[in-house]
Amino acid sequence: MQNKLSIYLIISFLLLFLLAIFSLYMGVYEFESSFWEIIKSFFSSETAVSETDKFVFSDLRLSRIVMAVLIGSALAVSGACLQGMFKNPLASPDLIGITSGASLFAAIAIVLGSFIKPHIPEVFHFSFLSISAFVGAFITMSVVYKISTTGGKTNVMMMLLSGVAITALGFAVMGLLIYISKDEQLRDLTFWNLGSLGGATWTKNLILFCVIILSYFFLIGKGKTLNAMMLGEKDATHLGIPVEKTKKQIVLFTALLVGASVAFSGTIGFVGLIIPYILRLIFKSNYYIILPLSAVLGSVLLLGADTISRTVVAPSEIPIGILTAFMGAPIFIMILLKHRKSL
Amino acid sequence: MLKGQNISYSHKEFEILKAIDFSVAFGKLIVIVGPNGAGKSTLLSILSNELESTADILFKEKDLKKWKIDELSTHKAKFSQQYNTDIPLFVHDVVLMGRYPYFENKPSSTDLEAVEKAMHQTDVFHLKNRDYNTLSGGEKQRVHLARVLTQLKNDIQNKLIFLDEPLNNLDVLHQHRILETIKEFTAKGNTAIVVLHDLNLTAQFADKVFLMKNGKVKAYDVPEKVFTQKIVSEIYDFPCMICENPVYKKPMIVFGNARKHEAELV
Repeated sequence: MQNKLSIYLIISFLLLFLLAIFSLYMGVYEFESSFWEIIKSFFSSETAVSETDKFVFSDLRLSRIVMAVLIGSALAVSGACLQGMFKNPLASPDLIGITSGASLFAAIAIVLGSFIKPHIPEVFHFSFLSISAFVGAFITMSVVYKISTTGGKTNVMMMLLSGVAITALGFAVMGLLIYISKDEQLRDLTFWNLGSLGGATWTKNLILFCVIILSYFFLIGKGKTLNAMMLGEKDATHLGIPVEKTKKQIVLFTALLVGASVAFSGTIGFVGLIIPYILRLIFKSNYYIILPLSAVLGSVLLLGADTISRTVVAPSEIPIGILTAFMGAPIFIMILLKHRKSL
Repeated sequence: MLKGQNISYSHKEFEILKAIDFSVAFGKLIVIVGPNGAGKSTLLSILSNELESTADILFKEKDLKKWKIDELSTHKAKFSQQYNTDIPLFVHDVVLMGRYPYFENKPSSTDLEAVEKAMHQTDVFHLKNRDYNTLSGGEKQRVHLARVLTQLKNDIQNKLIFLDEPLNNLDVLHQHRILETIKEFTAKGNTAIVVLHDLNLTAQFADKVFLMKNGKVKAYDVPEKVFTQKIVSEIYDFPCMICENPVYKKPMIVFGNARKHEAELV
């Protein structure tokens, strides 16, 4: 089982790569030049490739594809880590209120930020946004954890209900902000609730990439640790697993991942629920395999959904949160049915 | 090898353990027995570094709190009762967790061999590709016993194993097999500290018996000296008779009120 992980990873990466190429060519605009000509045109100035080709290729399509890959991966890994920490297949950032907490703080940052936006460079503006979202995610996560976990055992009901409570609060504040906002802010705020990768830029991708590299450094290798935690915290400690340190790291880095994702793409739900669920059907709850595969297959899922969202009603697009909700809600129901007796 | 003095533990005003002294040498099988509420599991938790008490527990002359937990996990292991925890993994992967202190990402062939050997010792090898959640209580118990055994399969000398009621839900054959496996383990210079309820199995296998009641130690000696009629009936508050076990030549404790039953037979 452990040896096969490399094979599964290679297959998944291949799938992702093919999907990315495919997605590059989907859309209303058709490229005039060939793939290699466009790539070369970024490195040398003397080519016959049109500016429109380059713009669509890089700033519209590729940056959006890269963002889908990064955010899909981040959300899937966050979901898997949370499920390991809470020892429950329903723990995903959106169901337990972390996404709402993050988008709440992000929305506040947008409204506040419109006052200082003209004065600071783009990087800081986006960093401020993602830091606010991170703070929101971190606070929410800590609150939910404190409420729902006593002595290492998670009360699932409390976990989900605190998610309901926080989502309700987020909804209320968001509604208020929408009510009092100017038109310009309204457009930004409305897309929060539905999620969209349309605002992809290379700056945002850079920030996302840094966040992911940092978080994955700590999280991706935690497969063994999460498996051991299924035995209970005391037995995991007997096996030499540093339980408290692990929990702190998971809280911190999933908050970072979710915060950054929400800051740039709004509320995209269910990715953290769908991918681990499907992987569990094949591999059982073996986090050693599920964690790394989630990182790649999360990207595949979001990229696929995004490609569909912008081609199915071209030239306009369906907000991606709608598509992931369509996929995720039935899976949520299936998990409930499967665990009817134990939840 | 393991020493603790003046061990006390309270939980919210209620004293569970009262100034207990404990020490054990290499290569011994110590069994802790006593009525319910005596504090046996609590003592085991303190000795195995699960609970903290004010007393210092010295393991191989070094304070338990000063050991690094990853190094400690290759010297000591503990089996606890697994009440209803759902573990959606294959049996083989559950037992493999016992080898986590030994590999980072991929288990080596030594690890896989250790897992196989332990699974044979507790007779769960035939279950290795089954879903853990579908096993019976006794089978799950044996899976975790295999996991704990495989954790200590290494070349380190004088290891320590703690077992909290390992025989629950096991049938007679497996009860004896487990105790014999533990006895083999101690014969190699390792120490085992076990909490049991069955006094006769205790008498058969223990090198020394640690008898507790109400948070205090009442006797700590070889079975022949601890299992006397006076001590046992006083501790358990129930009449008993001691005779010799025909198979093991050790004390055999038979509980019951002899005079009352004789009267009924007449």
